[in-house]
Amino acid sequence: MEIAYVAVIILFCLGMYTIITKKNLIKIVIGITIVESSLILLLMLVGYKPGGTAPILDKRYEIVVDPITQALALTTIVIGGSVTAVMLAMVIKLHKRYRTLNIDEIRKLRG
Amino acid sequence: MELAVWVIILPLLTAFSLGISKLYFKKIFFKLVIGSAILYLYLLILVITTSYPPKVYSIGQWGLLGINLMVDPLSALFLLIIALLFLPFIIFSMKYTKCIKHDYFIFSYLMVAGISGMVLTTDLFNLYVFMEVSSLSSCALSLYKKTDRGIEGTFKYLIMSTFGSFFILLATILTYYLTGTLNMAEISLAFEDTPFTIKSTIMAFFVFGYAIKIGLLPMHAWLPDAYEDSPIPYNVLSSGLVMKSAVYALIRGLYIMFGIDFLDESGLLTIVVFWGVITFITAHCLAFQQSNLNRLLAYSTIAQIAYIMIGLFVGTEAGLIAGSFHILNHAIMKGTLFFVVGIFNYSLAAVEIEDIKGLGYKFPILSFTFVVGSLAIVGLPPFNGFMSKWLIVEAALEAGFTYAAFFILVGTFLSLTYYLKVIVTLYTKNEKPLLIEEAGLSLKLPTIFLGSLCIVFGIVPSLPLHLITKIPTFLLDNGDYIRILIGG
Repeated sequence: MEIAYVAVIILFCLGMYTIITKKNLIKIVIGITIVESSLILLLMLVGYKPGGTAPILDKRYEIVVDPITQALALTTIVIGGSVTAVMLAMVIKLHKRYRTLNIDEIRKLRG
Repeated sequence: MELAVWVIILPLLTAFSLGISKLYFKKIFFKLVIGSAILYLYLLILVITTSYPPKVYSIGQWGLLGINLMVDPLSALFLLIIALLFLPFIIFSMKYTKCIKHDYFIFSYLMVAGISGMVLTTDLFNLYVFMEVSSLSSCALSLYKKTDRGIEGTFKYLIMSTFGSFFILLATILTYYLTGTLNMAEISLAFEDTPFTIKSTIMAFFVFGYAIKIGLLPMHAWLPDAYEDSPIPYNVLSSGLVMKSAVYALIRGLYIMFGIDFLDESGLLTIVVFWGVITFITAHCLAFQQSNLNRLLAYSTIAQIAYIMIGLFVGTEAGLIAGSFHILNHAIMKGTLFFVVGIFNYSLAAVEIEDIKGLGYKFPILSFTFVVGSLAIVGLPPFNGFMSKWLIVEAALEAGFTYAAFFILVGTFLSLTYYLKVIVTLYTKNEKPLLIEEAGLSLKLPTIFLGSLCIVFGIVPSLPLHLITKIPTFLLDNGDYIRILIGG
């Protein structure tokens, strides 16, 4: 269990590092996706119980995982997917206009 | 009874039916846009007038497990801003968006649905979802012109906004992990025996995430870039509503979940007031250097929101009233200024300050409205900006933040310099400017409506204050809010 939380922290910091330091637009979008995945993983961990099954209200299933976090994770995936789609569409437009993906060069060309 | 639910459903329904009507029934598209806006205004007025005492709407009778909506005076204030800005925005946009773009109206309805959802919900995760709905559609609106600068600025906006959302989502997940609930009242009760360090870490994530969306100092750079080449009616809604909705979410979350005592104890109040002072001084200095009208107004927005933050975070009843009053006044004043700039942009393609030279004689009424708006935002009597700024200074002095009160006066002089620069250019004699298209009544009417509100709220401040003075009752003492939410 603990090692999974460590993985979440590493993924989160890695994604943040990518967003802040990288100059390539695609890499920034990748960084955002990594951070988002780490948060989804965290959501799953929060609701997880060892040996738990699907949340069915029946006497045979005593240990069930938390269904709320799963619903939240689904919502987060949908939001993240649409944000990534909009971002990539903008990256395509920017590449068509400036013929480069480097943030510094775009800023220079923009004047 | 279920009127509050319709405040969210109506714009959402309109957005989707506009999508269908764009494909199959093009003729009724604009009738639908206007009709729905008028119906929405009527609905908002009904909800605002019945907002006191606060009521809880439990959707589907699930009680605390389900989705609960609550209309309290602070929500009613934001619904009032939507009511004042949305119909003028729609009327203005009809004419302003020259070639007919159907998507523009679909996204504006989605954005308003997101904001009204944020304002009404009592659930932390719903707040996050509605915030994402409003910020994504806000990005789509800001892209509308599809120019190089517009796309680049919007990309920066989307990156920053998503970056902030991650911290808010992280704080939400950690809150759920600690308390096992997402209902704000239950969180507040469960937080009482949480250790100090864990609570303040969660609070720091919330504050950092929302500070990006609000545009406090180091994270402010996206705002002028996003405003520079976006359609101007969108700027009205963005600075009036989208930015303010982040302020709403921040104070609602902090005051209800953590409580004023914890905010004071953890030193957040002092930090935010200091942060606000640095932000508005820097923003005023940067605004002075701008030659682009949109960028100048964007920096002015950053400064004004810093004033609002100071008012809301001095932590007294007077401060909350002053800050909330400034939220309303800033929406009206900035709306007036952006609308006038929008008309100049529409009829003369004016972008820079130089372009509006000598227009004071050509458009006498509009220029006068601009002067009224800018004097109000600087904070001169008898306009509405003076009233709320005065209240903020008074509240800061009363709470012992003398330096904040002093710098607000310094900031007033700084803002006077750059607004005077624009006004002087407006009234400098110039050769006949090149007129592209005459501005119609549908552009002038919303502008003059908001401009006259600046004067009316300045002379009769008791009109909005009647509603605003009830706000601290349900914020400063979170017990009342919790009792209503859990009892209902």
